[in-house]
Amino acid sequence: MHTDARTLENGTVLQGDLCIVGAGAAGITIAREFANTPLKVLLLEGGGFEFEQQMQDLYRGEIVGQPYFPLQAAALHYFGGTTNHWAGFCATFDDIDFEKRDWVPHSGWPIRRKDLDPFYARAQTILDLGPYKYDPGDWKMGDADRVPLIGDSRAFSTKMWQFSPPTRFGTKYRNEIVNSPNIHLYTHASVVELEANEELTAVRSARIRTFDGKEYSARAPRFVLCCHAIQNARLLLASKAQAPAGLGNSNDLVGRYFMEHFEMPSAELVLARPQTTKTNLYLMEGLGGPPRGELAITPAAQREHRVLHGTASFEAGNYGDPVKSTFQFIDTLMMNAQRAWRNGGMKGPPPMAAAAAATAPREAVPRFYHLMTRQEQTPNPDSRVTLSAEKDALGVPRARLDWRPSDLDKRSIRTFYQLLGREMGRTGTGRIQIKDWLLSDDKTWPSFISGGWHHMGTARMADDPKQGVVDANCRVHSLSNLYIGGSAVYPTAGAVNPTLTLVALALRLADHLKSSRGLA
Amino acid sequence: MSLDRRRFLQLTALGIITFADSGCDPWDDLSRETDHPQLLMMMLGPQRVRELGRQYLLTTPSEENSSLLYRNIRESSARFGRGRWFGYRAIDDQIRDDFTEGRTVLVDGWVLSVTEARQAALYSLRPVSPAI
Repeated sequence: MHTDARTLENGTVLQGDLCIVGAGAAGITIAREFANTPLKVLLLEGGGFEFEQQMQDLYRGEIVGQPYFPLQAAALHYFGGTTNHWAGFCATFDDIDFEKRDWVPHSGWPIRRKDLDPFYARAQTILDLGPYKYDPGDWKMGDADRVPLIGDSRAFSTKMWQFSPPTRFGTKYRNEIVNSPNIHLYTHASVVELEANEELTAVRSARIRTFDGKEYSARAPRFVLCCHAIQNARLLLASKAQAPAGLGNSNDLVGRYFMEHFEMPSAELVLARPQTTKTNLYLMEGLGGPPRGELAITPAAQREHRVLHGTASFEAGNYGDPVKSTFQFIDTLMMNAQRAWRNGGMKGPPPMAAAAAATAPREAVPRFYHLMTRQEQTPNPDSRVTLSAEKDALGVPRARLDWRPSDLDKRSIRTFYQLLGREMGRTGTGRIQIKDWLLSDDKTWPSFISGGWHHMGTARMADDPKQGVVDANCRVHSLSNLYIGGSAVYPTAGAVNPTLTLVALALRLADHLKSSRGLA
Repeated sequence: MSLDRRRFLQLTALGIITFADSGCDPWDDLSRETDHPQLLMMMLGPQRVRELGRQYLLTTPSEENSSLLYRNIRESSARFGRGRWFGYRAIDDQIRDDFTEGRTVLVDGWVLSVTEARQAALYSLRPVSPAI
């Protein structure tokens, strides 16, 4: 069922058995798990079914600390959320990503990879991926050219990726949600505050506001926040009528440990013997293409050198060509051009493909490759989301992002390429040139510092309430009925894009909620 | 394509000059494989290798001496190598061993084996041959 909340009477109280705030990948995944159950699910989405500038502006925020992409362009605020423009990159976290590593401050999840395995397998289907297989040997597909670049290496392995078409949740799952008899989707229902009971032990209702000044509320025995990592933190911090520091924030952890993935050009590779057989596995063949690999530093090398988890992807090119970071390549102009191309019936080549072709290699069998880093960020309590003094059109303080990398982040990237250079030399594969920006001190970052628009942390998971906002079941420690879905709960970021893990965690949370209602 | 007589004589003369020049080369006592990092040459070209050699010497001025560089390469071979010096094959092995054992240096950001960095330095000290 669907209702545009703008049509409701002022003061309406929505009542359900489960209230999900936010209809992106996590929110829609959880809602679908409750389809055709006896429970009445309220699914509250701030936006409508299409992009609206006024709605998107609610995500505008203040940037302090390291420069960052405009927040209103990084995440989308309408049904389907950021899956409306994601690129579909999917890979699993590895065992080591869940471990407590003594060289990575604040690392360690209260769950293990094996706890997520069954949910990863289910998430594959939701994201229109192939079988749950991520071993390079599984994806040779009878092609002798798709072989690992470096065999027999203690320091590097091939990390496999699969590509969603990409699945647009807002398109693919719209009818299923709207036609479900027990899922009540409310669009244009922006939640501006959560209200708790007097003891501050449970959420009682969610206050909803529209641009024309109407206010409603939603009530349910259980709430799940699936607004996106920055907005989840913002909503908790802004819910301060009863708790000045915000709800769920008695230990001053909400908004802290904001993490990104560093996605930056970091080195050049020149091959000793140019050949396609050794690089085919690593080259992108367009969005939604076949699985491909990235070179990843092994757990053994991470332990030995006390560095973070990272990978390198390959872009065939020409030596000396300028290479752009993710933020530089897909800037707001490019995003607008891409959106216009999509809205205009997708005529001609997509703007991103045209831009990429401009830097294509001049040789038929390329000798040079630009190496792009994808690396986790050290969990850092000072890297955080707080509230700005400025308020949005609905009267909610805007988010203020203070993104702060650590010395370990930069040292890890440099070490990665030093080790890779050794491996390339040892195996006679080629030579590596590390970019200048990595060779200066570990505190200085270049102006083109870039993430991948992967917002993680801000409501991290930990068994101890003093170490994390939510427990292993994604329930806010101090509130008996408030859960958080999405990448906000990640204690560490892994070296892969967050969506597959986010959907797997959403499925796990849905199972937990169902089992607590005897529905499992 | 035919070559006219005048052009033929020009090229022949140039060849004789080049040959004579290399015959007088003070580097003759150094094996060609030592000052000629062949894989780097192939990958990056002689000009860039020469620049890398200069960069190495800028950061390691104590080695700005061809005899010393030559000796360091040979001594490294004796200390870490697999036996006697047997030309290109042996130096390739030595370079691979450098990478395996972590005997690498960063030169202009390139991760090079110490041996090939010294080779590049030797090459950079070599007089530039006249262009043909």
